[in-house]
Amino acid sequence: MSATPPLFDLLLALGLVALALGCLFDRHLVRACSVFVGFALSMALAWWQLGAPWLALAEFSLGAGLTGCSLFYALGVLPPGSPLPSRRDWFREPFRQAAIRAVLALAWMGMIGAALRHSVPVMAYSPMQQPLLLAGVAMSALGLGAFALHRHLLRRLLAFNVLGSGVFLLLAGLTGTMAHAQALIITGLGVAWLGTLLGAMLIRRLYHLQGAKALISDNESIRQKRQGP
Amino acid sequence: MSIRFGLVESSVAVLPFTQPALWVALGLPCLLGVLGAWLRPQRTWPILLAGLPLAASGIVLLMIVEQHGLQRWQLEWGKLTVQLRLNGLSVLLLLLTQGLGLVAALYTPGELRHADPAQRRLERWLWPLLGILVGSLSLIWVAADLLTLYVALELMGLSAVGMLLLPGKVESLVAGIRYLLLALVGSLSYLLGVALILGHWGRLDLAGLVQVVEAGPVAWTAAALLGAGLALKAALFPLHAWLAPVHGNAWVPVSALHAALVIKASLFILLQLWSVLIPDSLFAAQLVAWLGVIAIFWGGGLAWRAVELKSLVAYSTVAQMGYLMVVFPLLLGPGIPASVQGLAWQGFWLYLVGHALAKAAMFLAAGNLILATGNTTLQGLTGASRQLPLSLLAFGVASVSLIGLPPSAGFTAKWLLLRAMVIQAQWAWVAALLLGTLLSAAYVFRVFRYSFVETAPHYAFRALPPWLDGLALGLALASLLLGLFAYGPLTLLQGSR
Repeated sequence: MSATPPLFDLLLALGLVALALGCLFDRHLVRACSVFVGFALSMALAWWQLGAPWLALAEFSLGAGLTGCSLFYALGVLPPGSPLPSRRDWFREPFRQAAIRAVLALAWMGMIGAALRHSVPVMAYSPMQQPLLLAGVAMSALGLGAFALHRHLLRRLLAFNVLGSGVFLLLAGLTGTMAHAQALIITGLGVAWLGTLLGAMLIRRLYHLQGAKALISDNESIRQKRQGP
Repeated sequence: MSIRFGLVESSVAVLPFTQPALWVALGLPCLLGVLGAWLRPQRTWPILLAGLPLAASGIVLLMIVEQHGLQRWQLEWGKLTVQLRLNGLSVLLLLLTQGLGLVAALYTPGELRHADPAQRRLERWLWPLLGILVGSLSLIWVAADLLTLYVALELMGLSAVGMLLLPGKVESLVAGIRYLLLALVGSLSYLLGVALILGHWGRLDLAGLVQVVEAGPVAWTAAALLGAGLALKAALFPLHAWLAPVHGNAWVPVSALHAALVIKASLFILLQLWSVLIPDSLFAAQLVAWLGVIAIFWGGGLAWRAVELKSLVAYSTVAQMGYLMVVFPLLLGPGIPASVQGLAWQGFWLYLVGHALAKAAMFLAAGNLILATGNTTLQGLTGASRQLPLSLLAFGVASVSLIGLPPSAGFTAKWLLLRAMVIQAQWAWVAALLLGTLLSAAYVFRVFRYSFVETAPHYAFRALPPWLDGLALGLALASLLLGLFAYGPLTLLQGSR
């Protein structure tokens, strides 16, 4: 545990969760991506606070810098002058499907939370001592829920990134910042960036080939269901 | 079980040749891949020539393991340690990977030559991705700590996604991005499982974990998280929905490699980690087995109803993974006699290797048929028997092994598995295995029902270079002969204890 008073940790944790909420549930996609960059910068601050400067550097460059650029590339903001996909996601899922998906995701996260409480003694006795660990649980639950809920490909990419950050925070909270944990997290950050880049290139290509409707994943099955009786 | 995976102290010191040979096996594919992107080989003989040193490294490793048994060592890199182990199983899978990788590379120029020019925009990238895929698969077979496994798994996953996307068609992009997102979430689940293990036991090396892991909520949760992530990547039922669209829209050698090796690598890691974490759990193995039973019939049914040739082959993969899932209760669980476990162990890996060869052969044969007829549906095969006898022969020989008719590897493996099940009196699994075999015969014969229509008019089929058929036939024959000459691989597997 760090020597600084937990007040700063608490504020950071609250800020992280608020930013995660902002970037996951804003339908205005450019704003959501900008909030994500802010989120990644706060993650870098959290790593610094946890005593892992290398992770902070990796998060700053990979998470905020390169992943942010990839997201803006997918949106057509970068490079300037690219064709612009729609900047808003107006797609509304049929309520029942959405509810079932979200409940399943949250149940899965609840199970993990229970297991964490069991395996980490600190969590059981005084959870407030570890606000960042709690933020990790909340962020991964939000990320998984949003991943299950959203159909827009870019929003799913965002949800994946938030889920990833939550998992990394959980990892660091569970293991401390030993060398192996840092190696795992840096690998994870690299993979998240590569995945986002690949996803962004795909989104651009799909938009180029098919227009905006291609960006809603699984739209085929939903459309068929709507046409059904 | 962990002993069979070679997670014990080795009695032999590491031989001086082992490490260099392994570096060649891991690094050379990547190097050749870069070279391939630069030179873009259009002929087969340069590829064959380049593959020779790779195969040589595999054979050197095979000879080392045959003579000296298990080798284990670790590398220090700063504060990080990397654990490696080489036993009969890893050498067998390494050789399989090299062989299939080489065949896929040999098939590639033929495939590209006949591909639509619009789809060849990114063909240069196929070579480095293929190299990374073969290298990371080889690393998965030998890695013995969770960090190295994670790195290798991610390299494999990303390169596989990249390869599947290369044709650039809308369908392949849509299937690819779905696969990408699911694979990424799967690896986060894996990472969370690793976090629990590292937090609770403070180590990542599998052999050390075998000593300290005790059953309890942490082990169960970690096993569930790792299992869920890997099952998603292995397309185990009910997480298989992404598989068929991905295989149906990729280039032929890519789908062949993916079905034969990439999804099996996740299954390999899953079994290995569960044998460390929950070796005595009854429930988890039973759950997997029941899901496997459903997979056999669900996948078989979908394959039976498939309209497209490639989706038939892809759905059959879902069913075939089901057979491997059914074996779990004979490998993991309390109080399994060593003799039964030994039989199930041999049957499991022989089935996996045989299926990898047969499935790759089937994809290549299906690719040949599609290239020649220019039609992707089963009905497009009408009359193919007269003009494409070799392609159909390759498909037929591969399906002999896939169904499990004697003397193929599929038959020998199923025989071993049935013996183990009968000894344990697990009649439900026996019934699933036998009925599933009938079902696979039913869907495979649909292909021949169309192709042997004698009254079909003469369609203009495209002539194919003979080596494309030769590659498919070679793989199919390898899978057939593996059943007859199973003694060698089986002693290698048994020697890994």
